[in-house]
Amino acid sequence: MVELYTEPDVKKIVVVGHVDHGKSTLLGRIMLDTGKIPADKVEAIRKTCEEKRVVFEPAFFFDALQEEQEQGISIDTTRVNFDFEGHRFLLIDAPGHIEFLKNMTSGASEAEQGIVMVDCVEGIRNQTGRHLKVLSILGIREVIIVVNKLDKIGYDEKVFNKLATDLSELAEAEGLRCLSVVPISALLGENITKISDNMKWYEGLPLLPLILKLKEDTLDFTTGAEPFRMVLQDVYKFNDKRYFAGRVMSGELTPGMEVFFSPSGKVSKIASIETFPASDKTKATKGESVAICLTEQIFVERGEVVSSTKEIPEVETELVARVVWLSSDPYRADDDYLLKIGTNEVNCKVSIITTSGATKSQPSMNNGDIFDVKITADSPIAFDRLLSTANLNKLVLCSKYDTVAAGVINLKAPRIAGAPVADPNVIYEQGYVQRAMREQQNGHEGTVLWLTGLSGAGKSTLAKALERYLFNTGYKVVVLDGDNMRTGLNADLGFSAEDRSENIRRISNVAKIFLDTGFITVVACISPYEQDRECARKLIGDQDFTEIFMFCPLEVCQSRDPKGLYKKVSTGQVSNLTGMSSPYQSPVNPHLRLDSSRMTTMEEVSAVIDLLASKGVVKSEALVSQGAAPVSEAAPPTR
Amino acid sequence: MSSYLDWLENESVFIIREAFNKTKNLALLWSMGKDSTVLLHLIRKAFVGQVPMTLVHIDTSYKIPEMITWRDEFVARHGLKLIVGQNTQALADGMGPDKGRLNCCGALKTQALLDTVKEHKLGGLLLGIRRDEEGSRGKERVVSPRSSSSEWSYKNQPAEIWHYYNLHMPEEIHVRVHPILHWTETDIWDYIRREELEIMPLYFGNEEGNRYRSLGCHPCTSTIKSCAANIDEIIEELKTTKTTERAGRAQDREDTYAMQKLRKDGYM
Repeated sequence: MVELYTEPDVKKIVVVGHVDHGKSTLLGRIMLDTGKIPADKVEAIRKTCEEKRVVFEPAFFFDALQEEQEQGISIDTTRVNFDFEGHRFLLIDAPGHIEFLKNMTSGASEAEQGIVMVDCVEGIRNQTGRHLKVLSILGIREVIIVVNKLDKIGYDEKVFNKLATDLSELAEAEGLRCLSVVPISALLGENITKISDNMKWYEGLPLLPLILKLKEDTLDFTTGAEPFRMVLQDVYKFNDKRYFAGRVMSGELTPGMEVFFSPSGKVSKIASIETFPASDKTKATKGESVAICLTEQIFVERGEVVSSTKEIPEVETELVARVVWLSSDPYRADDDYLLKIGTNEVNCKVSIITTSGATKSQPSMNNGDIFDVKITADSPIAFDRLLSTANLNKLVLCSKYDTVAAGVINLKAPRIAGAPVADPNVIYEQGYVQRAMREQQNGHEGTVLWLTGLSGAGKSTLAKALERYLFNTGYKVVVLDGDNMRTGLNADLGFSAEDRSENIRRISNVAKIFLDTGFITVVACISPYEQDRECARKLIGDQDFTEIFMFCPLEVCQSRDPKGLYKKVSTGQVSNLTGMSSPYQSPVNPHLRLDSSRMTTMEEVSAVIDLLASKGVVKSEALVSQGAAPVSEAAPPTR
Repeated sequence: MSSYLDWLENESVFIIREAFNKTKNLALLWSMGKDSTVLLHLIRKAFVGQVPMTLVHIDTSYKIPEMITWRDEFVARHGLKLIVGQNTQALADGMGPDKGRLNCCGALKTQALLDTVKEHKLGGLLLGIRRDEEGSRGKERVVSPRSSSSEWSYKNQPAEIWHYYNLHMPEEIHVRVHPILHWTETDIWDYIRREELEIMPLYFGNEEGNRYRSLGCHPCTSTIKSCAANIDEIIEELKTTKTTERAGRAQDREDTYAMQKLRKDGYM
């Protein structure tokens, strides 16, 4: 059976512009003049108009609410299918009053192209410009400009020409391509389906043929084949089978394909595409809602973006976006907002970026305001920066139960989490190779082991033993030793509280780089302050931060005194030694507590490896108890 | 994905899954009509053949009798869970169309629905309404939150941008979710034909040349003159018809804004 329309054949067009410039009238007129309004409906509207003692108003076809008809204003958006000459159009009426901007945006967000209307008597007004900006944020790139109510100015060509130039310039400034400018009278139906005798000076086509032409005029703004993207909506378990349900936003999905989940970084393979009724579906493409089964059972939840392992989306906690505020409640810097991209939702803070580049904290976004904002999310979220039909560059912000802003992610990326960046012009450059890809290549996950404790408590000894053991059993491992770091990167730092904090900040940033490279990263440094270790934990992330408290009585440390520091304190050559003249804040709840005065180094290594095995970082074959590596090779010299 | 119907279907399945994920105790409001029966099929599509929710039918007791017979057979054959809601108090007090059509709809449909939502603690309802049915439905959002009194605040609807549906709701709010809002009457029939769905025979022309184009309560629903005896003929007929779909529904014409008034109070 042949169906009349296919999806790419449906053109979705929104009509925007200032209040009272004739948007609903135009749409009603188009439907009426093409015979699309059933006779009983036309009669009902005629009756209503008579009761209200007004001339026949085509707008009532769209403005169906009592309040809309009585006040002659569109309150909310309406969408009507319009079938014409074998094509289907979705015509979207958008209210022009600033108070209803959220309704305008709701309607326009479904559109691909816009018709911008201006009343030639009133000229360009506030909402004309704002609507152009909103269309641009929504990703619309092409508009037809319609100058309305020519009948009210005696069909004056000069007024039209002036407006046509001004409007085209305004549209181009917002990055909108202006396809044509048409003079019309929507109320009287002039230049809609055919050229009006009153405007013989107009050399272009009437509006309707121009709308039909929109199809051929459409430029493809996407760059070639789009990468595969699917947003995960849910995971169902029916009859002992797990179905991963979601929608293909771009590209193509086939069974056997290896897939990557963002932000979790997990990898699996597609076993099958499941359908009802059952079929042997071998491919799903853009726009399809699918349920897939995976060959390897991994734990992922709603919100993930599924991609190929080759072309993966970006994952960040911080991003910059241009947003339009759509709520009568103004923006507040202290408020928590919910950021939605794809099917993911994360809590975030929002700060306004002023033109000078500094972030400003005063609340200053009200309904209709458009700003660039920095969004700092509580946890990483996946997105695409480039314009694509996957729409993963589009976001909304919600507050409690309402959507308060819509926006698009700016092309330039901000710096990722960590210290506040002094200069806003610093732009983070996202790499292609992601941590999970490296881990896959390494054959194991990366993690950070943070050894903290007094000088002489056995941190370096254990670190070196672990390094040797893991290296010999085939793992990527690195040791960041506090004193070693102070001979290079941190050579400028002393032992004041500030310098100790800075020391930890730098070490944790280096550890983070190694972690992202998929290394088991062993940090051995006194790190005496709870607050600094907390900062390190935040930067590295809860999941990857294992705190190991090297607990050893001070007397034992003093008796060992491997670096002769305790001795130097007693002779006054060293001040600020932790545990003596400088405080040590013991970890309240470390993952592991090792007392080197009672344990051998090999026992400590064994305890740490057990912990790594329980986290799934090392395989159980690596366990010391399984005799993975010859002890003679792996064990460090006994103390 | 190749056809327009595929696109409609995929869009609806996406909405159904969003609603199911976010809503506690989601149910399908099923009138046995063509639209909500298509919606039921779309639910099966979304959940790989399963129907992981309850169906709700609001029985005014004035339904065309064949509808009830068909309902019970259909539910039994497909093993569906069905809740039948009825405003028994209003019926005992003699409520009927003779008390005023809008009063009757308000009591036997709106109030019965509201009571059922409360009694079964339904967090959300999937409804098969469409924008092209009538003016006030044209103004609907895909997700429409309803206060505890079920009211539709049509003058201040929440923003609904792209596919970011607002499904976070306070406890006392139930949501109406409209997965086929973007379909037209013809789309529904095209889809019924393609998917070979079982459909209530009342839609097809009888020997006297009458058929129902829209189904409802027998005192307030009239047939249209039509010999369309199968789906192909119905689709042909719709191409040339000069009347609206709900022309046979008397309550719509009680006054100019009848549906808006009914729907403001929570009518489907």
